[in-house]
Amino acid sequence: MAFATGITGIQNMAPELPLQASEDLLSTPMFNLIHSFGVDLHHAESYVGQTTRMSRFERLSTDGGQLDGSGIDPSSEVPVRTDIDAKMEIYAKSIVTNEQIIIWENSKTLTKFTALLGGWLREKEDLLMRDLFSSSVSYINCTGGLNGDQPSNISLNDVNNIENILLGNDARSMLTSLEATNKFATAGVRDAFIALCSTNLSSDLQKVQGVLLKSAYPTQEGIRPEEYCSISRFRFFVSSKAARTPGISLKGNTVYTIPMYGLEAAAKIEQNNYTAVIGYRPPWVVSSVAQNSQLYAKFAIARAITNQNWISGLNVTTFQPS
Amino acid sequence: MAFTLIDQQTFLQPATAVTQYIGCPSGCDYFVSTNLTQMATTNATGRVVRGEWYGGGLFADNDGLRWTKTNSTSGINIDNFSTTTASNGFTYVPIFPAPQAALTGTTITNASPAVATVTNTYSEGDQVIIYNAVGMQQISGMSFTISSVSSSGFTLLGLNTPGSAATAFTVRKVAPVMPVLPQTYQITGITQASQGVVTVSQVHSYVVGQCVEFSIPASCGMVQLNNFNQPQSKPPIITAVTAYTFTINVNTTGYTAFALPASTLSPTAQLFPTVAPQGQNASYNPITGVQTGYNFLQVPFHSGLFIPYMILPAGLLSPGGSGGDRIVVDIYKMERGTLNSPVPS
Repeated sequence: MAFATGITGIQNMAPELPLQASEDLLSTPMFNLIHSFGVDLHHAESYVGQTTRMSRFERLSTDGGQLDGSGIDPSSEVPVRTDIDAKMEIYAKSIVTNEQIIIWENSKTLTKFTALLGGWLREKEDLLMRDLFSSSVSYINCTGGLNGDQPSNISLNDVNNIENILLGNDARSMLTSLEATNKFATAGVRDAFIALCSTNLSSDLQKVQGVLLKSAYPTQEGIRPEEYCSISRFRFFVSSKAARTPGISLKGNTVYTIPMYGLEAAAKIEQNNYTAVIGYRPPWVVSSVAQNSQLYAKFAIARAITNQNWISGLNVTTFQPS
Repeated sequence: MAFTLIDQQTFLQPATAVTQYIGCPSGCDYFVSTNLTQMATTNATGRVVRGEWYGGGLFADNDGLRWTKTNSTSGINIDNFSTTTASNGFTYVPIFPAPQAALTGTTITNASPAVATVTNTYSEGDQVIIYNAVGMQQISGMSFTISSVSSSGFTLLGLNTPGSAATAFTVRKVAPVMPVLPQTYQITGITQASQGVVTVSQVHSYVVGQCVEFSIPASCGMVQLNNFNQPQSKPPIITAVTAYTFTINVNTTGYTAFALPASTLSPTAQLFPTVAPQGQNASYNPITGVQTGYNFLQVPFHSGLFIPYMILPAGLLSPGGSGGDRIVVDIYKMERGTLNSPVPS
């Protein structure tokens, strides 16, 4: 009797399922959310219209006012109120899933998609606030850099110019000071306004005279991961999705805008009970043959620049075109 | 599933046709424009009566299928907008900002208004950014609304005698407005008057009763208008408007004259002078019965641009049609994705 011989290995008997899922999903990219945390948060009630009004009384005149003893009263003053209005708008995103995905995808797709929609909510809100800053704020071209472009790359003089504008307009700083500690290579950080810029500017920020990188702060406690450095009276936060317009500088390079502001410069208004709605529509609702289900996310937001005096910013290019 | 008709819109071109921007609420995989006015005529020069656009990267920007009537007949020819003789076609814009390809121009006059010479395919009312303006660098990077557009140039009604002429420049067409309104504008002139008149480089959306704040670098003069120089820092209020100008309740007679800096000061001079919205000051006087207006459409901060959108340029051989044309557009969506892409757009 002859016996069949040979060793059975993966060379002559391939695995039935030549792949397996790792124990966990890889990270879904999410950009730094920098455009919302520095603005005032207001809330809109239901049933009272789509537009929210924020009002401010302008300060009274300090001219005159002395009583001269004659019994004649100083003139009275009519207060001036400035109204800032913002219209509520709704944004939504949905994912429609066929039942075959759910039947044959052995992992929990609905859970994963819900998490994706949650990420979309925060990212979309951040971009909407970015658009507000890029549309409705006055920016000044940097001129102190040496790249010969218009606007130039960022310089200390340009940053100080914005500080002058904000201080001249009586803006209040956003962040409290970080007291110096007895640690090598660290320094105290003054109370500061905030500045929001593109990650493409990180190498230029490092070269600005007097820059204090985040690692040189006296403490890392409570410092946001999006923060990059401190220059003069500004603490810079970076995001890959910060505002930019390609190809419009004097030399045809990308122009980046850096909003720089203090307290109560801008506002985000949330609609009560509509700040983050995530829902599920079952197959028998979405599809006539019950094959597609739907996940959705939606939110309402209104946004406004509440005080132009307390926000300014810079148009910049990079030292080397990017 | 076949294309689903998501939306249908119609517009009537004004006497001088302008570029139309059609918002696409659910995106767009197939877009059709039908010129009802020209469909009923047989012009000697031939006209576009229908345009088609497919998504999924099948067409380059400013292209699509062009249905034209043969001269003086109702016979139909079909080709691409990019086919000779080329004309402007569809451009689908899903993001902001989206500067279009750069064009190189030869001159901008130092006149009132300034006139730019550049071979172009732009339309009346388009927004452009001009940069690298040799001899007129004080406007490099500035946005403009263009008018009196021909294939060889356009007029900048928001720029009056800027101080020197440009001998070369580059220009890009950009989105019609910023994503959020009311927006910031760049200033090209301010008069010295009992009520100063401000000229901006674009057709603006400000209304009477609206408050504004100025940011004027020292290189432009009239820094007295900057907020911190105003009494009590009160924002100026707009009292009258035209397309490119608005009047403010500030007596600028004694202020330093406003002038854009010389080109030679670029890039070291601080640019640009700008004006930004600062709420509104509408009021009602019950004694006189006078209401200082309030405009719910313009004054509150709101989205200025619905994204994504389709650009329909104006023109006899373009999907936007010519003056007085009635045009219907159909916006279709394919739920399985585009024709050459499995991923829904």
